[in-house]
Amino acid sequence: MKYLLLSVLFPVFFLGLVHADSVKIGFNVPLTGFAAADGKSALNGAKLAVKQANQAGGINGKMIELVVYDDQASPKQAVPISNKLIEKDKVVAAISGSYSGATRAAAGVFQSAEIPYISAYAVHPEITKAGNYVFRTSFMGEVQGRAGAKLIGATLQRKRVVLITLKNDFGKSLAAGFKEAAGQFNLQIVNEYEYSIKDRQFGPIVAKVKADAPEAIYATGYFFTAGPLVSQLRAAGITVPVIGQEGYDSEQFIKIAGKASEGTIITTSLDRDSNSSETRSFISEFEAMAGHKVDMVAASGHTAMKVLVAAMKKAGTTSPSAIRNAIAQTNLVASTGSISFNDLGEVQKNVQVQVVRDGDFHYHSEIRDQVLLAPPTR
Amino acid sequence: MLFLDLLIQGLLQGSIYGLIAVGLTLVYGLLRILHVAHAGLFTLGGYICVIVTNQTSSFLLAVLTSMILVGLAGMIIYRICYQPILDQPPFVPLIASIGLFIAMEELFRIFFGAYGLSFTELPLQEPLALMQINLKQAEWITIASSVGFVAMLAFLANRTKLGLAWKATVTDPEIASSFGVNIIQVRYLNFFIGSSLAAVSGCMMAVLNNLVEPTMGSVPSYKMLAIIVLGGLGNVRGTLIAAVLLGIIESYGTIYLDDLLDRDSIAFVFLIIALMIRPQGLFQRH
Repeated sequence: MKYLLLSVLFPVFFLGLVHADSVKIGFNVPLTGFAAADGKSALNGAKLAVKQANQAGGINGKMIELVVYDDQASPKQAVPISNKLIEKDKVVAAISGSYSGATRAAAGVFQSAEIPYISAYAVHPEITKAGNYVFRTSFMGEVQGRAGAKLIGATLQRKRVVLITLKNDFGKSLAAGFKEAAGQFNLQIVNEYEYSIKDRQFGPIVAKVKADAPEAIYATGYFFTAGPLVSQLRAAGITVPVIGQEGYDSEQFIKIAGKASEGTIITTSLDRDSNSSETRSFISEFEAMAGHKVDMVAASGHTAMKVLVAAMKKAGTTSPSAIRNAIAQTNLVASTGSISFNDLGEVQKNVQVQVVRDGDFHYHSEIRDQVLLAPPTR
Repeated sequence: MLFLDLLIQGLLQGSIYGLIAVGLTLVYGLLRILHVAHAGLFTLGGYICVIVTNQTSSFLLAVLTSMILVGLAGMIIYRICYQPILDQPPFVPLIASIGLFIAMEELFRIFFGAYGLSFTELPLQEPLALMQINLKQAEWITIASSVGFVAMLAFLANRTKLGLAWKATVTDPEIASSFGVNIIQVRYLNFFIGSSLAAVSGCMMAVLNNLVEPTMGSVPSYKMLAIIVLGGLGNVRGTLIAAVLLGIIESYGTIYLDDLLDRDSIAFVFLIIALMIRPQGLFQRH
C-alpha cells in the first residue's frame, strides 16, 4: 500500500515541479561563428538578470526558464530559430542577443506571431519598424553616429575627418548618422573608406589615411577589427584621435591593440565610472559571475532582460499582448541608463563617451543633447 | 609616396597569400586534392605561435615549434583524411576537406575560446627603415621569410635528389615508384613542407594583427583557391607570382576601386578576367 501510494505520488510531484512554476523566455544569440564572443557576453548578461529575478522569487512565483538558440549572427538561422521558439517552445516573449542582420530577420517573425521581442544591442533602424511588438533597449546606429559627429566637432573641436566604415548594417547605420549630423558641427569629411568584417590587414587604407592627414578618424567596427586597425594606424605614425563606438567596447579591444589603444575614444551605453548604484552593482556582479571584465554587450543583455522581466511582473499574466503593453510603459533604471520607449519602441538615453586610459575604459564625457539624440518616431 | 606605400602593402599581403597558397598548390600538384583544410592549419600555426610565445617569450622558438607541429598535423590529416579516399572521385576528398576545415574552426573555438588570443608582449613592433621605406620589423620579416622559404623550396626542388623524386612523383607516380622512389614518403614530406609554410604564414599574421581567432582561416580558405588556379594548378612559381600580383592589385583596389568592388571580390574578378584570357591559368605552359 505504501509503495502504491509512493508510485502514484512521485510522478505527480515531479509533473507539478515542471509544469506549474516556469515561464519561458526565448533568446537568440551567436554562440558560434565570428560573433560568438559578443554573443557569449550578451548571454551572460541576460543570464545574470534571470538569476537575479529568480532569486527574488521569479515572475509572480514562476521561475524564468531561458531558452537559448545559436543563430551564428545569420539571418538565415534567425528565422527558423524564431519559429522554433514560438511554435515549439511556446515562449511568451523573446530577446535578441544578436547582431543587426539576424535581429532584423527575427523581428518580422515575432511581430507576425505577436510575441514581444526586444533587441538588446542591434543597431539597424529597420528592426523596430517591424511593428509594435518589437522594442530596442540600445541606441539606434544613426543616433550613435550623430553623437560621434558632435563628439568630434563640438567636444574635441576637430574639423577634417576621415571615415573608415565597416561594410555591414552596423557600420553603415553609424556612418549614415555621422554624415547626417556632420554639417551641423561644421565637419568636413575628407574621405570615406570601407572594409569588410573579415579584414584584419588595413595596410592600404592606413597608407591612404596618412596621406589624407585628417584631424580625426571616425572608424566603425567591432573590437576584433578595431583592435588591428587602431594598432596599424598608430604604427604608421598617425596620432590624431580615433573615435570608435560600442563595437569597440570590450576589454578584448585593449588586449589586441595594446599600447596603441591608449587615448581611443568611443561612444557607448555603459559608463564604467558611473556613480549609479544600478550600474555599479551590475558591474561587480557580472565580473564575479563571468570572470572577465564587463562590456557593452553584457550590460545590454542584462538591460533587455531586466526590462522584460519587469514588464512581465507588471503584466501579471503570460498573455503576450499584456506583456507588450507593459513593455511599452517601461520606466526603469538599468545598467545602461534610464529606459523608456517612444511609440516606435526606441529608447532615448544619454550617450556615454569613454576613453582608454592606463589599459581600461574610463569616463570621458557624456552627450546629453536631447534633440540630436532623439530616435525616430512612428 | 602613397603609390610606393600601397605597393609595399601589396607585397606584404602578397607574401602572406604566397606562403599559404604554395602549400596548397604542392598538395594539388601531387595528389589532385583541393586541400581546403590547409587554411585550418594556417590558423593552427597562428595559435601555436601565440601560445608558445606567451609561455616562453621567444618568438623564434614559437615559429619553429609551430612549423614542426603544424607540419606533423598536415601529415596526420593526409594519413587519416585523404589517404583512405585517394581512389575516390576528386569531389570526395574536397568535401572531406571542407568538413575538416569547419570542424577545425569549431575546435579552435572550443579549446581556445571565442574571443581569440593575443600576445601578452607583442614582439617585433619596432619601426625599421630600409631604403627609405619605413615598416615594422614584423612586416619586414614577413616579406623576408616569404622570399627566404620560397628560395629554399626552389633549391630543394631543383638541386636535390629529394626534389627530383618529388618532381618525378608529380609527373608519373608509377614510373617514379618503379625507379625506386618511395611515393608514400614523398607525400608525407609534401604535406609536412606545405603545412609548415602555412604555419609560418599564420605566425606572421598573428604578429601583424596581435590576434588569432577561430575564423582567421576563412578568407584564406577561398582566396588561396583563386590564387592556385591563377597560378596554374600545381605550379609553385606561378602560384607565387599570382599571390603577389593579387596582393598588389588588392592594395590599389582597396583605395581606388572601393566604390565598385569589395576587396575580397577583387580576387575573383581578377580570376575571371585572367581565365577568360588564359583558361589554363596565367603560368601553366601546357
